Amino acid sequence: MGYLYLEEKDFAAFVDALIAAKRVVGPTAKRNKFVYEQLASADELRLDFDVTILPPKKVFFPPAQDIVRFGEQAIEGCIAPVDTVLLGVHFYDVKGIDMTDYLFRERKEDWNYLAQREATTVVASNIQAISPRAFWDSVGAEVKPKGHDAFLTKLAGGCVLETLTPKGEALAAFGAFRDATADEINAAQQTNDSVMGQCSEKLGYTSEAIAAKVRDSFDNEELWDELAMDCFSCGSCNTVCPTCYCFDVKDAWNLNQVSGSRTRYWDACLTREFAAVTMAGGDKENFRERHQSRFRHRFMRKTAYLNEKLGGPACTGCGRCSQACTVNIADPVRVITAIMEVGS
Amino acid sequence: MAKPKIAFFDFASCEGCQIEFTNFGDAATLELLNHVEIVEFREAMTETTTGRIDIALIEGSFTREADRVRLQQIRHRAKYVIAYGACACTGGINALKNHQDDFAEYVYGGDARMPHLRSGTAQPISAAIKVDYEVKGCPMSKDELLLVISNLLHGTEHVIPTYPVCVECKRRETICRYDEGDHCMGQVARAGCGAPCPADGIPCEACRGFVDDANLPALEKVLMERAGFSQKRAVGKSRMFTANLRS
Amino acid sequence: MSDDLRAAHENIFLPREARILHTARPTASEKHFTLQMADGEPLDYVPGQILEVGVMGYGEIPIGLASSPTRKGSFDIVVRTVGRVSTAINSKEVGDSLWVRGPLGHGFDLDSLKGQDVLIVAGGIGLCPTRSLIQYILDRRDEFGRFLLFYGARDPLQLLFTEDRVEWRASKEIDYHETVDRADVTWTGNVGVITTLFHKTTHLDPNTRVVICGPPVMFEFVIKELDQLGIARENIFVDLERRMKCGVGKCGHCQINDKYCCIDGPVFTFAAIQELEEAI
Ligand code: SF4
Ligand code: SF4
Ligand code: SF4
Ligand code: SF4
Ligand code: SF4
Ligand code: FES
Repeated sequence: MGYLYLEEKDFAAFVDALIAAKRVVGPTAKRNKFVYEQLASADELRLDFDVTILPPKKVFFPPAQDIVRFGEQAIEGCIAPVDTVLLGVHFYDVKGIDMTDYLFRERKEDWNYLAQREATTVVASNIQAISPRAFWDSVGAEVKPKGHDAFLTKLAGGCVLETLTPKGEALAAFGAFRDATADEINAAQQTNDSVMGQCSEKLGYTSEAIAAKVRDSFDNEELWDELAMDCFSCGSCNTVCPTCYCFDVKDAWNLNQVSGSRTRYWDACLTREFAAVTMAGGDKENFRERHQSRFRHRFMRKTAYLNEKLGGPACTGCGRCSQACTVNIADPVRVITAIMEVGS
Repeated sequence: MAKPKIAFFDFASCEGCQIEFTNFGDAATLELLNHVEIVEFREAMTETTTGRIDIALIEGSFTREADRVRLQQIRHRAKYVIAYGACACTGGINALKNHQDDFAEYVYGGDARMPHLRSGTAQPISAAIKVDYEVKGCPMSKDELLLVISNLLHGTEHVIPTYPVCVECKRRETICRYDEGDHCMGQVARAGCGAPCPADGIPCEACRGFVDDANLPALEKVLMERAGFSQKRAVGKSRMFTANLRS
Repeated sequence: MSDDLRAAHENIFLPREARILHTARPTASEKHFTLQMADGEPLDYVPGQILEVGVMGYGEIPIGLASSPTRKGSFDIVVRTVGRVSTAINSKEVGDSLWVRGPLGHGFDLDSLKGQDVLIVAGGIGLCPTRSLIQYILDRRDEFGRFLLFYGARDPLQLLFTEDRVEWRASKEIDYHETVDRADVTWTGNVGVITTLFHKTTHLDPNTRVVICGPPVMFEFVIKELDQLGIARENIFVDLERRMKCGVGKCGHCQINDKYCCIDGPVFTFAAIQELEEAI
C-alpha cells in the first residue's frame, strides 16, 4: 500500500487498459447532470463531476434486481458478480457505500449485494466541483470514509493514486505509474483538504446534539406538520439517497407464462403504503398513515435511528435529496436547522 | 385447456390504445398468442364474434346512452372486462368537455350542430357496466396490459402501484424536468407506466390519473414557483386527464 | 463450487420446497397445512418464529408457525385468504408444494417462561402462532407452572382448531377458557370480549408470564386487566404483525420506529414496545 503517480498524458491509456480488462463504471455526463455508467472509453469519464443523480450504490444494489428465478419445477438464485472497477467516487459516497456494506452484512449477509460488492474495486477520487446543495463538510465528521481500495487525486500535470488494499494495488499494473514523491503526496493531501469548508450549505450542530433533539421532537406534531406540509410522498428523497436501502419484492411471469422471476425494487419509506399491512385477520392497517409521520420517519432514520450501528448519522451530506425534492422540503440542512431552533 | 378468448372493443376514443397494442412487436405478440386466442380486433383483423369470450378489452369512453346496450351485451358475453386507456378508465381527455359548453363550436366551427356530433357526458366504462380491471394511461401502458393478462391467466390480480411516477422516474435516473426549467406532474401521477415521458424529455401529464392522496396545493405551488406558471395555468394544468375526478 | 464458496454465497432469498402432507379447512377463509421439507431436513425452530411462505409467481407472506418443534417430522401453518399470495397458497392441495424460507425472527423467550405460570391470551387468528407455544408447553408440561389459555373469536364459526379445543377443554394440564363476541343458536359458552375471561378463573399470580397475540384493538384492554393484576410489563410478551417482506432485516417494511419487527421480533416484551408510537 502506498502512493503512486501517473502523468496526465498517461491517464487515458490507464483507463482504457482497465476498460479492456474489466467492466469499468464511472461518472459520465448526461446533459447538464452526471450519472454513473459503464465506460466504453476513457473520454467518457468525467472526474470533474459535482454529484451524480443516483449514488453509486446502484452498482451493487440495482434499482431492479432479480433475487430468485423460477421455472416449472426448479428455482435458482441469480447472484452473478462481474469483475468491476468503480472509478471516481467522492468521499461522501465512499461513506455511503461503507454504510450499505454494513447494513447488507449485519445479522444476515445478503450476498445479492455483497457478491458484487466484493467483485468491485472502489476507486475514490477528489472533489473537483461542488454541488450547490452539498453539505458533506459539515455532517457526520466522526464517520470516516473507508472500505475503498484506492484514492485518486488529480493534480496539475498528473494524479496521485493512494492504494489501500491489494485490489487497489492491482490497479498499478494497468498504467505507467511510478512512486509518488513526498511533494506530490503533500499536494494531494492539500488538494483534498482544500475543498473542506467550501460547501455553500452548512449544518451547525454536532451529530449527537442533532440525534438527541430530533428524537426529542418526535411528538412535536405541529413542527412535523409544518415541515412536511407540501410533501408529495413521492419518495424521491429516498430513491436518490446513498444510504437508503429499502426495497419491495414482486414476482412476475415471463411471456411464456411458465418461468419467471422474483425481483426486488428500490422502495421508499415516504410513499404512502410503505408501512401498510394486511393483518393476518384481513384488516388493513397503515402504521405511518400520514405523510408527516413518514417524513418524520426518514429524518429519524437519517439522524438518529442508525447512529449506533453506523458510528454516526446515516446522512453523508451529498445533497441529492435536497436537489431531488421538487417542492424543496427534503433538505436535511433546512429541516434539521428548523428542528434545532425550536425552543432555542 | 382451451386458450382463453380475448376480444377488443372500442368506444369514444382515438383507437391509439389498439395501435399501442400492435406495438408489442411480433415476438411478444406471438408468445402471447400461445396462451390466448384473439377473436375480435378491429385494428388488426376483420372477423367478429357473438359467442362467449373470456376477456373483453374495452377502449374509449362511454359518451352516448345508446352505447349502454352494447356495453351490457359485452359484459354479458365476457367473463372479465378490462377497461384500457384513460378514456375507458376515467373518461380521459374526452371528459374535458364535461366542464365546458362551447367546445363543439371551438372544434368543429360551423358544423358544430351536425347530428352525428351530438354526444353526452364523457364517462368511464365503469359508469355503464362493472369493470374488473383497469389498464390506465394515454395510450395505455402495454406492459401493464400484459401483466394484467398474465395475472388473469394465473387466476390472480395485477397490483398497480399506489406511489407516484417520480419513484419510477428516479429509479431510471432521468434528469428531472424541473432541473431543465420545465414542468412535470410526476409527483402526483400514479406510477406503473415506468415513467417513459420524462425519460424522453417531456413532462409527465399524469395520463394515468392521480395517486389517491395527491397533494394538489403543493403541485400548484411547484408549477408556479419552479416552472413559472401563472396561477390559472397551474390550476388548470392538472385537469387534462383527471377532469372527471375533480369538481 | 467448493462448499466454502457455496456457504459464502448463500442467497437468503432462495426459498426451500415444502410438501403439503395434509390440509384442513377450519373455517371458510382459513386453511391449515401440515408440511414437510422436500429435502427431508427437519425445520429447527422456536415457538413464535415465522416462515416466509410463498408460491412462485405470486409472492411470499410471513406466517407464524402453528406447531411445536417438539412434534417432529412435520410442521403446521394456518393461512387466511386475504390477498393475492394467501389466495394462491390456499389453492394448494396435498401433494403440491409451497416455497418457504425460515424459520425467521425472534420467537418466545422460553427461558423466561420456564418454571413460571403462563397465561396465553389469543384473539382470532392470533391463536395460530401461539398454538406453537401451547403445544410446546403441553409436551413439556412439568417444565412450566400453572398454564392458562384464553381464546376469543368474533363468532362461533371463526373458532379454530376444533379438535385441539376439545382436548384442551378436557385436559387437566391446561386451564382453558373461550369466548365469542357474538353467539349463534348453537353456542352455549361464554359470550363477550376476551377480557371477560379474566373473571372466569381463580386469581393469577403477579409473577405470571403473559403472552398476547391478536388484533391490535385487543391489546389495550388486555393490558389494562394485567395492570390491575400487578403483572410487570417485562413479563408480558406480544406477538406483532408487520408487512414483512424479506423477513431478514433488510427491506425495511417492518420497521417500528427504530426496531425491525422481523428480526427484533415478532415477539417483543410489552416493556420494549410500549413507548414506540408506531407499535400497536
Ligand atoms: S439524506 Fe440527503 S443529503 Fe443525506 S445522504 Fe441522503 S440524499 Fe444525501
Ligand atoms: S430512510 Fe426510509 S427508505 Fe431510507 S433506509 Fe430508512 S426506512 Fe428505508
Ligand atoms: S420530501 Fe420531497 S422528495 Fe421526499 S417524498 Fe416529500 S415531496 Fe417527495
Ligand atoms: S421528471 Fe417528473 S416524474 Fe421525474 S422526478 Fe421530476 S417531477 Fe418526478
Ligand atoms: S410518465 Fe406520466 S404522462 Fe407519461 S405515461 Fe406515465 S403517467 Fe402518463
Ligand atoms: S421484513 Fe424486511 S426488514 Fe423486516
